[in-house]
Amino acid sequence: MKITLTVNGERHRLDVEPRRTLADALREDLGLTGTHLGCEHGVCGACTVVVDGEPVRACLMFAVQADDAAVATVEGLAGGADGDGTLHPLQEAFSRCHGLQCGACTPGMLMTAAHLLDTEPDPDRATIRAEMSGNICRCTGYTGIVDAVADAAARRARGLRARETS
Amino acid sequence: MKCPPFDYHRATGVDDAVAALGAAGDEGKILAGGQSLVPVLALRLARPAVLVDVNRIPGLAGLEVRDGVLHAGALVRHLALAGQGLHPLAAEAARWIGHTAIRSRGTLAGSLAHADPAAELPAVLRACDGAVQVAGPSGTRRVRADDLFLGALQSALDDTEMITGVELPVPDAWGFAELARRHGDFAVVSVAAARFGDRVRIVVGGVAGVPHLVDAGDLATVDGELSADRVAILAAAAADDVDPATDLHGSAGYRRALTEQMTLRALADLAGQPRPVREPA
Amino acid sequence: MDHTPAAGTSVRRKEDARLLTGRGRFVSDLALPRMRHVAFVRSPVAHGRITGIDTAEALEVEGVSAVFTGEHPAIGPVALRAQSALPGYVETDQPPLARGKVRFAGEAVAAVVADDRYLAEDGAEAVVVDYEPLTPTVCAWAEPTDPVHDPVHEQAPDNLLLSRTFRAGDVDAALAGAHVVVDRELTTNRHGGNPIECRAGVARYEAADRKLTFLSGTQVPWIVRTQLAELLDLPEGNIRVIAPDVGGGFGVKAVLYPEDVALCLMAMAMPGTALKWVEDRVEHLLAATHARDHRYVLRAGFAADGELLAVQADVWCNAGAYSVYPWTAGIEPLMAGGLLTGPYKLADYRCTVRGVATNTSPSGPYRGVARPSTVFAMEALMDSGARALAMDPIALRRRNLILPADIPYRMPSRLVDDSGAYEACLDQAIATFDLERWRAEQTRRRVEGGRPLGIGVGLYNELTGLGRAASAGPRMAFRTGHDACTVRINPDGAVTVFSGVTSQGQGLETTMAQVVADALGVAYEAVEVRIGDTDQSLWGFGAFSSRQAVIGGGAAHLAGEHVRGKALALAAALREAPVEDLDLRGGQVYMAGQEKPIISLAEVAKVAYLQSDRLPEGFEPGLEGTKFYDPIRGAFAAGAQIAALEFDPATGEIGILDWVCVEDAGRIVHPVIVDGQIAGSIAQGIGGAMYEHLVYDDAGNLATGTLLDYLMPTAGEIPELRIGHVSTPAANPTGVRGVGEGGTLAPNAVVAGALADALGVEIDDLPVTPARVWELMHP
Repeated sequence: MKITLTVNGERHRLDVEPRRTLADALREDLGLTGTHLGCEHGVCGACTVVVDGEPVRACLMFAVQADDAAVATVEGLAGGADGDGTLHPLQEAFSRCHGLQCGACTPGMLMTAAHLLDTEPDPDRATIRAEMSGNICRCTGYTGIVDAVADAAARRARGLRARETS
Repeated sequence: MKCPPFDYHRATGVDDAVAALGAAGDEGKILAGGQSLVPVLALRLARPAVLVDVNRIPGLAGLEVRDGVLHAGALVRHLALAGQGLHPLAAEAARWIGHTAIRSRGTLAGSLAHADPAAELPAVLRACDGAVQVAGPSGTRRVRADDLFLGALQSALDDTEMITGVELPVPDAWGFAELARRHGDFAVVSVAAARFGDRVRIVVGGVAGVPHLVDAGDLATVDGELSADRVAILAAAAADDVDPATDLHGSAGYRRALTEQMTLRALADLAGQPRPVREPA
Repeated sequence: MDHTPAAGTSVRRKEDARLLTGRGRFVSDLALPRMRHVAFVRSPVAHGRITGIDTAEALEVEGVSAVFTGEHPAIGPVALRAQSALPGYVETDQPPLARGKVRFAGEAVAAVVADDRYLAEDGAEAVVVDYEPLTPTVCAWAEPTDPVHDPVHEQAPDNLLLSRTFRAGDVDAALAGAHVVVDRELTTNRHGGNPIECRAGVARYEAADRKLTFLSGTQVPWIVRTQLAELLDLPEGNIRVIAPDVGGGFGVKAVLYPEDVALCLMAMAMPGTALKWVEDRVEHLLAATHARDHRYVLRAGFAADGELLAVQADVWCNAGAYSVYPWTAGIEPLMAGGLLTGPYKLADYRCTVRGVATNTSPSGPYRGVARPSTVFAMEALMDSGARALAMDPIALRRRNLILPADIPYRMPSRLVDDSGAYEACLDQAIATFDLERWRAEQTRRRVEGGRPLGIGVGLYNELTGLGRAASAGPRMAFRTGHDACTVRINPDGAVTVFSGVTSQGQGLETTMAQVVADALGVAYEAVEVRIGDTDQSLWGFGAFSSRQAVIGGGAAHLAGEHVRGKALALAAALREAPVEDLDLRGGQVYMAGQEKPIISLAEVAKVAYLQSDRLPEGFEPGLEGTKFYDPIRGAFAAGAQIAALEFDPATGEIGILDWVCVEDAGRIVHPVIVDGQIAGSIAQGIGGAMYEHLVYDDAGNLATGTLLDYLMPTAGEIPELRIGHVSTPAANPTGVRGVGEGGTLAPNAVVAGALADALGVEIDDLPVTPARVWELMHP
């Protein structure tokens, strides 16, 4: 079946079997292997991407269902406004706070966190923990991840306040 | 864990979906949110010949209250249900479903049709004495909650039928409590309680093949305020009324005890009393 | 230019740039030209004879190019045999694909090669296998009255693969003289590593020059190369094993699996075709190694003042269907017997350990190997002893701890403890935790009501960085004490390090760069590290036993110092300065007493590689060096964890209110990485203590075969962790102690101890779940 996927702003025409998951289309057909597969049954969250503004499990959605949709993956997170490769504040915070070790859960964590900060600019740690609980990390014990999301949120809030007062 | 092959039909309307299901005989399956269906396919526990994708059917995501009843379209996502204020019991229950990335896709009708006895929304439908609107090859019909759930993962819907809308009467007072192993897991036991006038309906999830409507007899009729004593009596009655099985996450006795405790919590919420036990930090 | 040491600071990890942007290089991500994909057909029965395999239908499936079975001529002659000279150890074979019979549900029976994974799974579904059922054994400690019907391996008619008794002193006399004697019978729950990236491999064979390349998510590429050379009958130099980015390991990937060997054998049968297998989560739960399915029958004697006089233990470890390759079925039982007594002084000890074969997935190394169970066992004895003596449980522990004055302490298992920092860890943990405040809160709740609160304690020693005298693995054909490191100064003066370490998230590119930067005298940013490729680095045993920071770090330090010496010698000759007056800092060579550098490392390197005309007499071109390091013994790392938990007797709900851990990690190279290792291992320990349980039914079917049933803790379950350090430098070049596993060791003991402290009920079987708590309160 022929479909059109817009991934990180770039349009792709694909011909996929209906059973091909969005995750496999991204990874195998588009070579965007940043979206990882950890369980393929919707529990671990490693494959989380954002489709038309909502986070989804890319292992539980078929590529044909994303026809004409806008998909955001971890590969599109960095780049800044002018595509210069500047890391997203969350990526910076994950590095600073040791929010990643092996990096396997990281893309899903980042996409989940990015959506959280888009919808809830100033989450407390309990909110962060609850919202990130759909993503399993096996390395960090979550401390660094919660620290990173809280840090990115706090820095953004400070930035916004600074802009308001200037 | 790759799905077996299937044909894919993207339905343009309810009639089109029903026609496609009819053409598939008993080999068709509706693809809505996919949050339960796709894992089953990935595990190759089912191999439908055709998936009928209903996600792009227009007009099925509405939410409105008419005459004290929330009329919800089949494609209302759990996130939307959780975020609405028209039916607070449904909103609270939806917040307990999985995680944001699950709630963003999972649908109200999909959850009801899947008929998982531990799921939140079937319990809510039954607690509110709701109903579903169903379209099929021979027209439409209305199925009441009490008739919808036949057993674990078994509903009264035919393979060629689809839910198009859900009616959820808005209770005068409500409570919801659940114990899950982890954040976002299916409930070990959940309780949805709804008060309509002087009647209190208590439905327990996770203790039988279907969401269990507690038969509390006259005890469920409450004049005026629901007292703490009556809450305790009703909770004990609920525990008496269930006949759970033992599985990995707990014995029959444990589930019975949880039924009492979750009913205590849900009814305390319903009655506006403090919960008897503080929630874990 | 001033030079700040890189070690001791949390420099930005070298791995982060690619891992944060979706540019990691995991085996799962690899695509090679004309690559084909493999799916395994797995046994649905736990124990049975294979009476027939029909592959005809599978070969008709679109895209399927080959189907292999255990009888295939490419597979048939090969068997994995974990070898050990341990007396009484029964050696058994593990076929790459089952031959004749299957020994656990999930064992690979056939493999299908197809154009993509979807088609390979279609093909696998079409393979028809007939089984004649045999009686399965699931439990490793059946009553002696239950005869073994159908042994797992005919070489072991009683299913016993090994047994060993550790003996010290006279236990019977010591028990007879004890003021109190306590008995406990405990079981610990089977669980597993479950890294987010499951196992994965890509194998490609070139027939013309008999060269095999195996890209594998392994923790032990050099061991894999050695074992493959033997199994595949290839010269070791013709095999290249590459472990690129690996998405977590935790021990599960320190095994050479039958699937790995099958993949390589199939690649050799299909020369020129790259074959890829990526394990899915269901396969991982079924067939990657499990761990910690143990039983402990314990008796301990205490003197009236609390002195621990004697421990007698009988231990059964479920080894699963095969003796894990190459580590053997001894990995868990021998660790259990060797380290049961933990940080406590003891003279009289008798412990019989057994590795028992069953029709379940093989047991293998998993973070903490056996010690989460033994710490639970030992701390249960301490808690029971304290109750019997009406003594404060912490005071009882203090009475028995190995203290600095006792070092080196010879444990009853004859291991030599070099730590003695247990009391220091305990003191700091108690202070951080504020024990008095929590005791007051506990009392307040008892008086005023509220959920019962309990305080649990776990003290442990993590044996890290094992040298040749205490090598990991029981009397195997190799001793795992050393690693190598090569430091190369490039012609432009930048540094490339070829280290034998491997990384599955531990950030070892970063740590090795820090160590080399400091040893050599260059900036951290000037150092690049290559790891995980057997064609690039000389040697490393890999990631297990918390060894790499100690051993790989030691080698990196020595190699850095060695090359520093070479560079300074050349600089001295070039500048005609006395070498003893020279110092290399920040990539510049300084002469004592002068502020300005006399020559840069880049200039020295340029001469070494590009300007042989300037090379002084006696100097060879090039600027690099390789060093091995072996610590001979190991470095014990002390640790203490203490936590407050509340329990709801009505529902069994468990809330973790505070959790403190203090460890002696020795000198700390990268503080944030070290804390990340500790936090991650505590989280896995909490997972094992409260959530994770691989359950087999009596027929040997895994009842927890998906992540809907196998529950790993999330950010919603793991509490805020407070981590502290007692840093006692170890006697090795960098002074570090291993830190990868310690955190996992205490949570079983802490959670069980807190439950007993809160509700007065002793829990004997893990995990501690709400259902189990409720059952204990409602017997």
